[in-house]
Amino acid sequence: MKYLIVGNCAAGVNAAIEIRKRDDNGEITILSDENFPAYWRCLISYYLAGVKTKDDLVMYPESFYKDMNINVLLNKRAVKIDTGNKKVVCADGTEFSYDRLLIATGGRPKLPEIKGVETNGVFCFRSIQDARRILEIVKSGGNKAVLLGGGLIGLKATYGLKKRGLDVTLVVKSSQILSQIVDKTAAGIVQSHLEKNGVKIKLGLDASEINGNGRVRSIKLEDGSELPADIIIIGKGVSSNLEIAQGTGLKTNLGIIVNSYLETNLPGIYAAGDVAETKDLLTGISTINALWTAAVEQGKIAGANMAGDGIEYEGSMAMNSAEFFDLPLISFGITRPKPGEGYEEIIKPGPESETYKKIVLKDNKLVGAILVRKIENAGIYLALARKKVDVSRIKDILGEDSFNFSKVAHLLDIPENYIREIATSHNLSAEK
Amino acid sequence: MKKVFCDLEKCLGCRTCEIVCAVVHSKTNQLYGALTEEPRPQPRIKTQKGIKTFALQCRHCENPLCVEACISGAMQKDKSGIVSSDKNKCIGCWMCVMVCPYGAIKPGKEQIAVKCDLCFEVIKEGEEPACVKSCPVKALIYCEEEEFGKNTLEKTEIVRPK
Repeated sequence: MKYLIVGNCAAGVNAAIEIRKRDDNGEITILSDENFPAYWRCLISYYLAGVKTKDDLVMYPESFYKDMNINVLLNKRAVKIDTGNKKVVCADGTEFSYDRLLIATGGRPKLPEIKGVETNGVFCFRSIQDARRILEIVKSGGNKAVLLGGGLIGLKATYGLKKRGLDVTLVVKSSQILSQIVDKTAAGIVQSHLEKNGVKIKLGLDASEINGNGRVRSIKLEDGSELPADIIIIGKGVSSNLEIAQGTGLKTNLGIIVNSYLETNLPGIYAAGDVAETKDLLTGISTINALWTAAVEQGKIAGANMAGDGIEYEGSMAMNSAEFFDLPLISFGITRPKPGEGYEEIIKPGPESETYKKIVLKDNKLVGAILVRKIENAGIYLALARKKVDVSRIKDILGEDSFNFSKVAHLLDIPENYIREIATSHNLSAEK
Repeated sequence: MKKVFCDLEKCLGCRTCEIVCAVVHSKTNQLYGALTEEPRPQPRIKTQKGIKTFALQCRHCENPLCVEACISGAMQKDKSGIVSSDKNKCIGCWMCVMVCPYGAIKPGKEQIAVKCDLCFEVIKEGEEPACVKSCPVKALIYCEEEEFGKNTLEKTEIVRPK
């Protein structure tokens, strides 16, 4: 059996490992379009900050792939799938045949249409290559950075550059930062915390023009103001790398559509990670939650299924955890419910101390949460949401600081003996 | 694999396990020294008071969500089944805190995820984990899962409401 994996990140590498666990002799090949071995992509902000070195980022040593008998080819950009002859064609003309194919091509940053966006010194923040190039400018004396976009990518890059001592301004089109993942209150807490740490933030403004002669000098904003900049980083969302699906008959929408076994509509072809469109666990909507953890899980399941297993994927959900200058923030699911749609909110505020807790319920089920500063037990809320547990009987204690696992052990059907004991001893396990 | 289980009929919630856990994970390894350490050592086990009182720590899950969620490769499950966080790799992003359904991983004071390591250095020597050794009422048991199930099944029959 010939397994071919296009993409050498979270989904691709984990798929390869799972295949090998099930098939000792199959030929496993991973094609990567990067010139660096598989790395912990989310750590590029720490690399930028100088907290991690390039070597720290490498996922596994070469010997790991050798021991697993996984063939990794770098600098191989797959451009076309010949589904009839079951082979993948690369940009350099080389071809690879397959019996089972995994498309794990990931995503890439969306570039806004701003005049001057092609100027030297304008970056995205997705790859180790991006971080490396940004660092080159920092090392050659660049000390003013402007970041476009108030999402996690922008904030993580902000952290990295601030750690390097740069003057950083965040320009956000929306009226709050992190608008995709938290509400205004939480965003306000994080914003003032960032400002206290020296980050300048401009809300409700977009960039109109990037100026520079061969190299970025400044950026003009909608209100006519101009900010000097040596580095501009764009964090305006990500789109799937779908080119490879063109002309194949693969069903696509936001990404490549897969079923609950992560199979595409074409036999023998699977997709996983940021390129795969799956079902959202909470909303039921077909979408992409472009997250490391989702990519790992999908990669594992796709790999297992490619090797003949029949594991079903539950679906993904939006979830994020990050820490900005010692302020931790976790959010998942629906955090900004629309009024009048039957959502219930449990809110424990306290912006003075930078703590905030919000739990969102619908039909007595937990569908989202935001935790700022006090993040312990976040996973219990996530488990309640994932398992769609009826929380009507514990609603009054959900937001309390004393809330812990023992309060919900009987409601969570976790397949662990220890917990089953707790559940059965109270005969409550069936009461979901 | 052998894990630490808690007999619900015995646990009083006295929190001895918490103190001992913090001490054995401190720099000085002594109660008095641990009290004056900065940052204060944190226990990896937590007494919970809910419908029942019991002490809970990492369950060293078969398919740990924390390992899947870890973005730095710090959280790993080793061959013996112990899930632990490599403090040299952990960057304190708290993805593991976000996904642990038991709430058994804590954001540590030194930007490192804090969780039960099953006292792996001690059990290698054939000893029991510190919390088990210290439990004054022998509620904490270090044994195979099946063994624990067998032992407690009869007891749970008694407390099960008719």
